[in-house]
Amino acid sequence: MQKFAPSILVLALSAALAGCQDKGPQKDKVNIDKNPYPSTYKAMPSSATLITNATVLTGTGERLDNADVYIVDGKISQIGVDLNVQADTTVDAQGKWVTPGIIDVHSHLGAYPSPAVESHQDGNEMVSPNTAQVWVEHSVWPQDPGFNRAREGGITTLQILPGSANLFGGRSVTLKNVPAHTMQGMKFPDAPYGLKMACGENPKRVYGGKGVAPYTRMGNMAGYRQAWIEATEYKRAWERYEQEYAAGMNPDAPKRDIRLDTLRGVLDGEILIHNHCYKAEEMAMMIDLGKEFNYHSGTFHHGIEAYKVADLLAENGNCAALWPDWWGFKMEAYDMVQENVAIVDAVKNSCAVVHSDSDTTIQRLNQEAGKVMYTANQKGFNLKEQDAIKWITYNAAKSLGVADKTGSLEQGKQADVVIWDKNPFSVYAKAEHVYIDGAKVYDRKDEKYQAVSDFMLGQR
Amino acid sequence: MTKFKLSMITGALLASSAAFAQVTAITGATVHTATEQGTLNNATVLIEDGKIKAINPENVTANETIRANGLVLTPGFIGSMNQLGLVEVGAVANSRDASDEKAGLDFDPSYAFNARSSLIPYARKGGITQNVATPLNYDGAYQGLAFTANLSGEFDSVTDKHTAFVIYLGAKSKGSRALSFQQFVEKLEGQKAKLAKKDDKKDADKPSGEERVLTQLLNGEMPVVIGASRAADITQIIKLKSDFGLDVIISGAADAVLLADELAKAEIPVIVSAVANLPSDFDAMHATLENAGKLEKAGVKVLLTIAGDSSHNLYQLRFDAGIAVSNGMSYDSAIKAVTSNVADAFAIDGGKIAVGQPADLVLWSADPFELSTTVEKMWINGEEVTTESRHDKLRERYTTDSELPRAYTK
Repeated sequence: MQKFAPSILVLALSAALAGCQDKGPQKDKVNIDKNPYPSTYKAMPSSATLITNATVLTGTGERLDNADVYIVDGKISQIGVDLNVQADTTVDAQGKWVTPGIIDVHSHLGAYPSPAVESHQDGNEMVSPNTAQVWVEHSVWPQDPGFNRAREGGITTLQILPGSANLFGGRSVTLKNVPAHTMQGMKFPDAPYGLKMACGENPKRVYGGKGVAPYTRMGNMAGYRQAWIEATEYKRAWERYEQEYAAGMNPDAPKRDIRLDTLRGVLDGEILIHNHCYKAEEMAMMIDLGKEFNYHSGTFHHGIEAYKVADLLAENGNCAALWPDWWGFKMEAYDMVQENVAIVDAVKNSCAVVHSDSDTTIQRLNQEAGKVMYTANQKGFNLKEQDAIKWITYNAAKSLGVADKTGSLEQGKQADVVIWDKNPFSVYAKAEHVYIDGAKVYDRKDEKYQAVSDFMLGQR
Repeated sequence: MTKFKLSMITGALLASSAAFAQVTAITGATVHTATEQGTLNNATVLIEDGKIKAINPENVTANETIRANGLVLTPGFIGSMNQLGLVEVGAVANSRDASDEKAGLDFDPSYAFNARSSLIPYARKGGITQNVATPLNYDGAYQGLAFTANLSGEFDSVTDKHTAFVIYLGAKSKGSRALSFQQFVEKLEGQKAKLAKKDDKKDADKPSGEERVLTQLLNGEMPVVIGASRAADITQIIKLKSDFGLDVIISGAADAVLLADELAKAEIPVIVSAVANLPSDFDAMHATLENAGKLEKAGVKVLLTIAGDSSHNLYQLRFDAGIAVSNGMSYDSAIKAVTSNVADAFAIDGGKIAVGQPADLVLWSADPFELSTTVEKMWINGEEVTTESRHDKLRERYTTDSELPRAYTK
């Protein structure tokens, strides 16, 4: 008996080895479903809408005065002066301003919702420095009242990110800011996923404090590099499997690992990096890290010191998503300058973005951009409204990989549009109408278009 | 010879400023007085000896005249409920002095006030000239004493060490708010009884720090700022005021709109954030952007404060006031909510353009609440101060071309 057993094992092993080379009938191919929680988003009902006589900021750097915007079938159909078109609904926007829907590339709505009670702390999987396996969409509570408040401030698209406790925090999700009772109902169709990474103080504080790596900034870098080496091997193993299978062989699929699936998605160029990273020297190293492992280092979020490396960011095609004035809450946020966004923006081929990271300022991203514009102009910059709007529309869409779909008022693009009662860079400005895919989703003067979350229903 | 001449001139200048009171006249300004006088157009304000000497005097004799040409003059704005001068970097423990686990009810953080904090010149960018800083104790109800400082950056800028007592009686993540409330009531009752007895025998023991604070509260000599948001808690606080005759201010006050009339009647000022409109917890189910305006209309004295990191972001106070206006607060009330209402509620000088008040003034390029407006000039106790901070040095360094590394650009 005892002799018999090993020989069976040997036989089995040799059969398995031969199986890799087997030209015989192939096993079913193992395919990884890259979209297992697909969007079920459907645009709300809309009709052909003509907005007339507005000051229009297109998001592409243009300003048109007394212009009309014509929306048909959820898309921007025409923009121009005195359009001669048929519309079901005409909105007189004399004296008002029209912009693309505002996009926030950095939000935790739904994952850190209101009320901010202990049961709702769903944004940071703080158990390991690499949690690339978690997807923040699985934390999103669509009833967060913050989504409605953000919509009232003109937010039509937003990226929900996991927190910054980990070197790899997990996947982000981009949402259309429509009321829905499932996450899938908000999910932006065909938007790429993002991967949240974090530099600096947060990961080393969270894990160093527990006596595990990373304890230092050099530990942070070692952690990223180790993970990308693993991901590179994983990608290679799957590619070999694909190649052998395509060649008619009968290989065994590599063992599936959802953490490495996400990292591989980055190496394949399908998932975009969104990197919480404050300091100049760290951004410079994260750019090199991307080059070392052959992926693009994506968007730097918070980037308090982006102004110190503005040239480098533009040269490498990195977006920098920044606050106008937050500072001082930790050492890496000490060197803030109020003109950070403007300095980054001033370089050719730059991609400056104003973000919120806040359930409060997301409601006034227009004013956050306005602060930068005015402060910078007082220091010798010459920024205009048509420039500043890009920081919260087109450039933000570019950062999220959806600039072909939204982020500007151009023919054929999704009609995500805001009508403001005045210059949106005034402290007194308010969004009057908000449209997503041509459908009115908010009207300041009509309760019918003012959504209330389940949580708030019957509370007042 | 040259050196000698220079020092002669310096001496002469010093002598002249010492010998004659310097009078500065600001003429042709749109003046928001933050008093019953409201707004004065094309007005003149005279500054002498650090105080406002006259408004629209018949004759103007001044050493220096600033022609405002319609620019807007306001009292310097007053911050409150933050840790300005008690924190440099939030996450750096040894730069924080707003709390101590061993602190008692009479904790006095003014001893730690750092007039040279980089937050102070930065806050001046928002026209802030004075501030009521508070201790911040996340672990317990008793916070300690608030103090007042001007934003001159001078070492003697603390102007009042015992501006208010601060206590938090709202939602707790551990235990019950009832116990916090009950224990505070018992302390007040105990001290009240002790004071009644002491009236009989004058040779009482020297009171403890805690007893001194409680006595000041019971005598109405010092306001108590109570942190609370839920309407049910606010009703308890209104009763507490009437039971003990306290001078109460409520901070937070997210659901105060439900009791606006009662608060007005009880003459309880509230400190609110103009931007708090989310149900951050079950205490704040009625937080809306319209609350500041609704409270004001009901006759409640409203003070505005900054939500979140209120120390580093204090300069934003003027924008919050603008947001309050765009959501229903009257413009004059919003001016008062960042000036005279703060001064009145805390019984401190300043916050008004009136004769005899300290010359804490800001001359704005236009509407002070608007994003595009800048501080043209500002004065604290009649001395002109700058809005320049290290942030400006950093910007200049990285926007100035140089063949040498940036470190040589200073």
